[in-house]
This record gives sequence, C-alpha cells and structure tokens, in this order.
Amino acid sequence: MKASYRWLRSLVPQLTAPPEELAQRLTGAGLEVEAVHRYGVGAAACLVAKVVSTRPHPTKSGLKLVTVDRGAAATQELVCGAPNVPEPGGLVVLAPLGAYLPAKNMTIEKRAIAGVESEGMLCSEAELGLSDDGDGILVLPAGTASPGAPFVAAVPEAEDHIFDINLTPNRPDCLGHVGIAREIAALYSYPWAPPTPKVATLSGTTIESLGVSVRIDEASRCPHYGAAAAEGVQVKASPLWLRYRLASLGVRPISNIVDITNLVMLEFGHPMHAFDLDRLERGAQGSALIAVRVAKEGETLVTLDGVERTLAADDLVIADGHKAIALAGVMGGKGSEIHEGTTRIVFECAYFEPRTVRRTARRHALHTDASHRFERGVDPSDIEAVLASAAAWTAKLAHAQIAAGTLHAQGNVRFPKTIRLRAPRLRALLGVDVPWSEALDILVRLGNKLVSSTAATAELEPPPHRPDLTREVDLIEEVLRVRGIDNVPEILPAIHPTPDSGGDEVFRERVRAAAVAAGLSEAIVLGMTSPAALAKVKADPPTVLLKNPLAEHQGAMRTSLLPGLLESVSQARRREQPDARLFAMGPVFLATAEGLPTEPLVLTAVLSGTASFRAYLSKAEPIDVWDAKGAAEALLLNLTGQKPTLERGDLPPQVHPRGGAWLLVGGKRVGYMGPLHPDVVDAFDLGAHPVMIVSLDLEALRVIGRAAPKFQAIPKFPANARDISLVVKDVVPAGDVQDALKNAAGPLAEDVELFDRFTGGSTPKDHVNLAFRVRYRAADRTLTDAEVDAFHEKARAAVELRFGAQLRT
Amino acid sequence: MSDPQADIENKLAALREAYGPRFGAAETEQQLRDENAKILGKKGELTAILKEMGKVPGEARKAIGEKTNALKQEVEKAFEVALTALHRAAREADLKGRPFDLTLPGRPPVGPGHKHPISMVREELIGIFRTLGFGVHDGREVELEENNFGKLGFPPDHPATDMQDSFWTTSGHVLRTHTSNIQVRAMMGHKAPMAFIAPGAVYRRDDDATHSPMFHQLEAFLIDEGVSMAHLRGVLRAFAERFFGPGTPVRLRPSYFPFVEPGAEVDFGCTFCTQPDGTRAGCTICKHTGWIEVLGCGMIHPVVFESCGIDPEKYTGFALGMGLDRLAMLRYDIPHLRLMFENDPRFLAQF
Repeated sequence: MKASYRWLRSLVPQLTAPPEELAQRLTGAGLEVEAVHRYGVGAAACLVAKVVSTRPHPTKSGLKLVTVDRGAAATQELVCGAPNVPEPGGLVVLAPLGAYLPAKNMTIEKRAIAGVESEGMLCSEAELGLSDDGDGILVLPAGTASPGAPFVAAVPEAEDHIFDINLTPNRPDCLGHVGIAREIAALYSYPWAPPTPKVATLSGTTIESLGVSVRIDEASRCPHYGAAAAEGVQVKASPLWLRYRLASLGVRPISNIVDITNLVMLEFGHPMHAFDLDRLERGAQGSALIAVRVAKEGETLVTLDGVERTLAADDLVIADGHKAIALAGVMGGKGSEIHEGTTRIVFECAYFEPRTVRRTARRHALHTDASHRFERGVDPSDIEAVLASAAAWTAKLAHAQIAAGTLHAQGNVRFPKTIRLRAPRLRALLGVDVPWSEALDILVRLGNKLVSSTAATAELEPPPHRPDLTREVDLIEEVLRVRGIDNVPEILPAIHPTPDSGGDEVFRERVRAAAVAAGLSEAIVLGMTSPAALAKVKADPPTVLLKNPLAEHQGAMRTSLLPGLLESVSQARRREQPDARLFAMGPVFLATAEGLPTEPLVLTAVLSGTASFRAYLSKAEPIDVWDAKGAAEALLLNLTGQKPTLERGDLPPQVHPRGGAWLLVGGKRVGYMGPLHPDVVDAFDLGAHPVMIVSLDLEALRVIGRAAPKFQAIPKFPANARDISLVVKDVVPAGDVQDALKNAAGPLAEDVELFDRFTGGSTPKDHVNLAFRVRYRAADRTLTDAEVDAFHEKARAAVELRFGAQLRT
Repeated sequence: MSDPQADIENKLAALREAYGPRFGAAETEQQLRDENAKILGKKGELTAILKEMGKVPGEARKAIGEKTNALKQEVEKAFEVALTALHRAAREADLKGRPFDLTLPGRPPVGPGHKHPISMVREELIGIFRTLGFGVHDGREVELEENNFGKLGFPPDHPATDMQDSFWTTSGHVLRTHTSNIQVRAMMGHKAPMAFIAPGAVYRRDDDATHSPMFHQLEAFLIDEGVSMAHLRGVLRAFAERFFGPGTPVRLRPSYFPFVEPGAEVDFGCTFCTQPDGTRAGCTICKHTGWIEVLGCGMIHPVVFESCGIDPEKYTGFALGMGLDRLAMLRYDIPHLRLMFENDPRFLAQF
C-alpha cells in the first residue's frame, strides 16, 4: 500500500511529525513502512511561465526559440525542442538555471544548443518526475497561476512523500488513507473525524426515476449493495492535481470518472465501480436493472482487460437484465465501461463476502486493487460515505447532475459481537502492568465502543472497519501495539529441562560427525527431483508427486539422494573441480497406501576425482573402490562400533556389478558401496573421472545403534611380528589368504595385516605378490622365537596347501 | 583405355561388398576407426573414387555422384552401428569381467570433510536452546494440510495463505511451509508444559536469486502456565546474546502471523557495522538501517491451543521461528543464497 504524506496530513491536520518520524511510529505499531520515496521533487524549484512569443531556431529545423514571461515582468528566451509549445499566452513550467531535476539527474546550466545560448528549460512531466510522459512539455490549463509562481504552489500534489507500507493481511482498514489517518490519530492521541462529503443533488431527478433498481440473489455473499447515479456527465481528462495524486500512488490516470473511482478507493480503502447506465439492458417487466447473482456455468464475460472469461457457477457477478456485467469485487466488464461519450452513470459500492471474491479472483488468476481489498474485508459501514464522495467529485469534475438518493439492497448483514476484555488476562499475556484506564483509552481511540466496564473487565464492540478484532487476544494485541512492545520487560523463564521427542536430531548430528570424520563434506540437495532424473540413477520411481511443481525437473519428491549429488559433481567438474567427496543426508519420500508418506532417513556419499589427499611424495591416483570401502568402513565403525562385512551378489542397480558390494553390520544389510554403474556414469556424462558411491540405510543403523565400547585389557607382554611375502595367482582374493593365515597361525596370532601388494617385476604373469605381517602375542608370557617360528611355519604351510602360495624368494 | 564410368562403378560395387566384413572384423574401437579412415578419410578409398569423378562425362557424372554419395552415407551409418555394437560389447564385457578384489583393505580417509554451514548454524542454535531448557522434537516434511495450516489458525480461502505459497502432492498433502507444523504435532502428542525446538527443511513456491524452493527453519515454543510476552522477550534476549554476542540490541515490531497473537517480527542490531562505541554505522548487509530482520514470533494463538486440545485459559505460550539459511549467511558472510545449494567443493571446504 502506497500512502501520500500530504493526503494524510490533510486528513489529520494536527499531524506535525515529519515523514521519517511518522514512518518509524507506524512501523513500531505494526504498519511496516518499508521505504519513504519523494515524488515529483524536481517540481519544487520550477516556476510557472507564460509563452510570449516563439520563433524558429536559426539553424536547426526541429528547435524553437521561445520567449517566456517568468513573472515580475522579466522575460527570457530559451531553446525548446518540444512539438507542443503553446501559442502566446499559454502556461508552461520553467526549470530555471540551477534547478535540479532528480528524475533525469540533471542540473540546469547555461548551455548552447545548436549555437544558441539557453538559460533554463521548459519541462515535460517526465523531466519533473510526475509521470512517464516525456513526449512534450507540460502545458498548464489557463488560469492555473500567474507567471513566476512556484509550480508546487499552483499544484501542491506535484510534490509529496510517498510511504511504501508492507501491510499484513489482517489490516484491510489501512488499505485507504482514511484508515491510515484514523490509525495515526489513535497513535498520537489526536481527535479524529472521518470526512463527510456533501452532495448537492438535482431537484426532481431521483435514482429511481433514472430506472435504476437493485436486487440481491445471494444474500450471504453480498450483505450490502449501494448505488448512486448521475446524468449530464462530461467524460474528460482529470485536473492536474488528481492526475498527480493518482500517479504518485502508482495508479495511472485514465478519465475523470475512472479516476474518481480510484481516488475514492484510495481514500476510503473501499473499491467502487462505475457503469455506463445507457449500456445496461433492461430485462423482463418488473425485474431489477442490476442483480447480484451467481454466474451460470459457462456464462462468458469480457472483463475490462479485454479477456473473455468463462465463468463458473461459484463466481459472483453483477448482471443487468440479460447478462453478467462485472465480476463482483474483482473487475468490471468491457461492455458497460465508461467511455468518452458516456453521459449517465451508475456508481456501485458494495460489501462482498471476502471468501467469495478470493475464490473468483484465484479462479481467474486476477489480482486487482479491488479483489485485494475485498478479500481482506472492506468497511461495511462506509458505503453511504463512499457513494457521497464519488458523487460530490463527479458533480465537481464532470459537471454532472447527481440524482437524489442512493439505492441500498441488503443481504445478510452481520452485526459485530461484543468482546470481553479482562484486566488480569491482559497482564498475564503481556507480562507487564498496563493501567486499565490506559488500555481502555487505547481501544476506544482505535474505534472500539466501550459498552460497559468495571475495574477488572470491559465489554467492547469492535468497529466495523476492523474485521480482525474478534477475540479478547485481538484487543490485547492492540493495546500492546499502540503502547509499544518496548514497554514489555525481558524476563528469562525458568524452563524445566525438556527431553527430546524422537531423538532424530541427535542421530543426525552423530551421522553428520561420522561422515565428516570419514573425509566427506556435506551437500544439501533439494527434496524434489524428477522421475527422469531418478530413472537416470536407476532409483525407484517416485511415488510422491507434486500437483503444482515450479518446474518439470522438480515434479516429484526424491526416492534417492543420488541425482542431486551427481548434479553437484557434474557442476563442480564444469568449474574445473574434479575432486569431490560429498555426502548428503535426508529423508526419501515413499507413498503409503493411505495417509502420509514415510520419510526414511538416508545417507549417500559420492567420491570422485583423484585421491589427492595422499602424501606429497606419492603421485595422485584416481579414486578407486578401496577408497570407497575405506570411507564406508570408517563411517560404519564410527556409527555402530563394528566393522562392516561386504557381501556380493544381487546388487543394487546403482553400482558396478564387478566392484559393488552390500555393507553388512551384524549380518544385516545397512547399505551398499561401489563404483557408480557405467550406465549412470554415462547418463550424467561423468566419464572423465571415476565416481564411487556409498549409501547407508540410516533407519537400519538407527535401530542397530552403537553399544558403549567395553574395555579390553592392555597387553602386558610384547608382541612378536613376522612378515611373510607370498606369490599367489591374481584371482585369489587377498582377504582369503589373510583369513587363512590368521586361522592357521593359531590363537596367539593377534593380527594379520596386508602391508604390500604388487605385480610385475619378477612376479610371474597372472600372479600377485602379497606381503603380510602377522603379530603373535600371548597374554601371560613373552613368546620365544622358536614358538613363533613354529606358528608361522604352520601358517605358511596352510596357505601353500590351500592357494599354492609360494614364498617370494 | 578403360571406361572411367564402368571403372568407378566397379570400384563402388567392390567397396559396397567389402565395408561390412571389414567393420565386422574390427575388435577394438581403434581398429574400427582405422578401417573407417581407410574408406572415408582424406586418403580413403571412397575419397579416391570421388577424385576420379572428373574423368566421367558430364551427363553420367550426376548419376555416379549420387551413387557415390549414397554409398558414403551407407558406410557412415554402418560405422555408427558398428561403433555402438563395439561399445555395447565392451560394456557387457566390463560388467561381466572379473570382480575387483574387495577383500583388499579399504584405504582409510586421510583428512576430515566439512559440515555444511546451514548444519553448523543448526547445531549451534540447538546447543543454545538446549541450555535454555528446550528439547528437540522430530519433524516431517510432507504434512497434512490441517497440521500445516488448519490447526494453526489459517482460515480457508484467506489471504494469509498467500504469505506461504505452498506445494501440494497429488494425494492432497502439503510440503510443510514452515516448521510450525511441529507445534501441532507436539501439542497433540504431549501434555503441557513443554518446551521444544524443531529444525528442518521447509518448502515454498519461490525460486529466484533470494529464494530457494527448499530452505530451512528452526522453530522454538514454550507452553506452560503463566508464560507471557516478557518471557518471549527474555528468550530472544538470551538468544541474541549467545548467537550474535553480548549487548546485541533486540527490536520487536508488531506483525501478523495467523498462529500467534500478539505477533512480532524481530530485528537484531547489525553486527557487521557495529562500531567500537556500540553505535551502528549502517552497511549493505543491514541495508543501512542498522537492523537485521531475523525471525518472527508471538504468543501462541488461543485458536491453536483449542484445535490441539489444550486449554488456553490454563496455558499460554510463545513460539518463534527463524530461517537457518539466512542465519548461516549472516554468520559466515555468505553473500548469495544460491551458494548454499550448489555444493561447490571450494565453498564447502571453507566451513
């Protein structure tokens, strides 16, 4: 909502606060002023001047030399290029030397135009910051002011401060200047009287004699419909002051009648509409000229924006004897629009039920100044004043004769209920003592009627312009708002420590910490993705679909975190960042037969690029499946206290069948890992560098949990280690050799570690060299070398027998 | 002298017979490409034939030219088919090849990764509210309309719902537009008194430079006998001191959210332009106002209590909600929201 400071001051003459101060006070009371703009500021330095004579420019054909009278009998000659310089005697606006025109960021200086000196400029409305009309200079109507008068003295509305107020939807009363002025009066304790327009009506003609009649068919949707009428209307452009007032508030001036309806809407916050009376068709004998009814399903109406709309049976319309002529509370119809030749008009001012207007506006994707106000609830009590104001302006600006009387049709009128306010409740909710008399005074200043009161309770009737006041707490908020929240003390409550409900956050924090410790960085991926993206990663198709997605690629809730992660990897590569070790944690969304979908928590990690964190002496190697295994082991050991085992076969489709594996903890599958399946690599065009994935079913891990570690006695006796270097066929899994060594070396073999693996050199073809270190230890004594040699020989013999492993020589 | 036309036609016929088997014999992509170059390359056989075209008399040249071009296209197509077949075979062989030895030890990660800045702020805020006595309540993201709107006092067909343009699923559920749905779930599931916080992802239909359709909030609410606006202000003060630093100014402006009354928006003094003497010079982050809008709050509306089965005469409470993304941007000087969701490794590595 834009508000004019000049207008507000005319409605609250006592107001002395300058614009910035008023803005702060309004913001402090809940009407957030986002900005204060200056309108037409350039006009302040400019003068009214009279054209004395014109002659052509000596060299340039498009230019004229204009001599103007700038008051006090002083004349001056200027160069002007405008096509519309008036005849001698015409009034124009002169920006003298030194005048600053902010709209064009220009200071008027003496300068030569095509060889002729010019000291000043005749201005267009665009140059003055009044409108975007820059086609010609502004020509003032005769008699506007004498030459030399400051322009803003002649047209005060050409300069103003405009407030941009971010109104919350509960305050429809402030969608007009009267409402904001009433609020200001309450905030500053100034007396308040609403404007009371007086209409001089034409004797003899009544609205009925012009043939206007109104019938409401939908009593609950239209509690009140008021109409006024005028004849002898002259439709023409509005005077400058009205044009500038509208323009400063962001409304385009059109013609005097349309401008009047807008002016009155901006004044009272109550939209109105003007119909061309001669374009309304009468129906059967005895029927009303204007009916408020619902549309017939499929009925059409061309609205003022030129769009033909097919109406629904739920749309409330205004209709004449034959057809719909307006979408009630939303937009008028083209057929009954005011036009140049209009002479007789009907003004409509009604109260439409907010939900009706909202449904229709949304159905037709229309958001108008009118629907915005009706949806929030206009003042049902000001209809007479609004019609009177419109009639008064019409008499004055369109030289019309106003028909006597207004017509009112009533539907189901709602009467305000009184609200009981309790002093103890006020204190309890705000935590501060508000003197009872002060609280009541604030509420009365805001327009509430004090029906009765005691020292502890009061009955108040809220004003009709405040549909948001329905309960005690609404009144309490009003008291707080007007007094200022700063008057409430800050008291830290003693909160009884509350245990978590569910424990999800603690678990998430644990997983996050484990993932970070496993070398992964946290990515955040959108909850929505597309069926196509999920198909690309071979994930389950989505079952939770969006009815109104913003874009096709966000049409479904994810069943996998992979699309988002792979997108991130792909984008990083486009930015020349091939190394990415990312994880994302979050729910996937799985529809259930009835009720809400389940949202199981999942962690997925992607490792890609080079394993560049290796020691500086070794060269960077591409990330491989053993990096993924290391990350998965680190994660699961941290989360469960157990090292996972790997299981092949029946793999999820996201991983490469040669390198993928299920991850098991305590015999249960808790996730999988492996190189990304080459089809998925191709689908995301990620072939340039290897991509490994690890995915964990966090719901399974949540159940497994992590047992507290149990202390193991620290060995008292030293270990005795033996290395063994074996050559085996390269199809033999190293882990099998390791396990065989451990088993054969006996119970005192504490640990077997693979510390080297290589091929080539002296190693035969299709063979691999594996070097293990076996540590032997007894809990109760130091082992002798002889003992250890015996164990170790047993181990060697076992692997030779089983795998044909030969000692490397 | 041979007839050039017949000569060319013979060569074309020979090539037409030969190219198929030659492509078929290629075992690797390189072999296939080499073979293709021998036919279609600059010094290829077909190219050589084209060069002989000049010898053909004008009237026959057109017909021969068309034949040659047709063969060229035929060969090109056959090459693509053969290449695809090779790829497919290579893919099959790759998928069926000898498995990697996964019994080899995993390579342990070398250095730690990084938490996302939104998570860091989330954990920090949870820590702050835990010390004040709040517990964390679990949440969900796809929600019943009544838990997200209805029970929170959003009237149907009311402009208040425009403040939160929402995503709907085809089953008629809503992606929660705020973490306030947890108020409803907590009140339905627990007896008062209670003090909970609820962090999580929320969704609104906005996608531009300053809005992401998914973002993050943290909700905090206290319900007990005798809770007042003064307690809300006390908690806001404690939060400001602990998150932004001692002495951070706190300003409340009355505002409107359907589920609180009185409702307010809360600004904190801009920590980016605070001078040594405590005054604030104004900067781009606070848009030269000296204040940063951080959260919305208010006293829980009696209609919420009523819809959740709690007696509003006996219990009162407050609720506050803040955007984690915005707080992370403030905390870490992150200039654009977009950076938060791109997951650029260079971005993540900074936190």
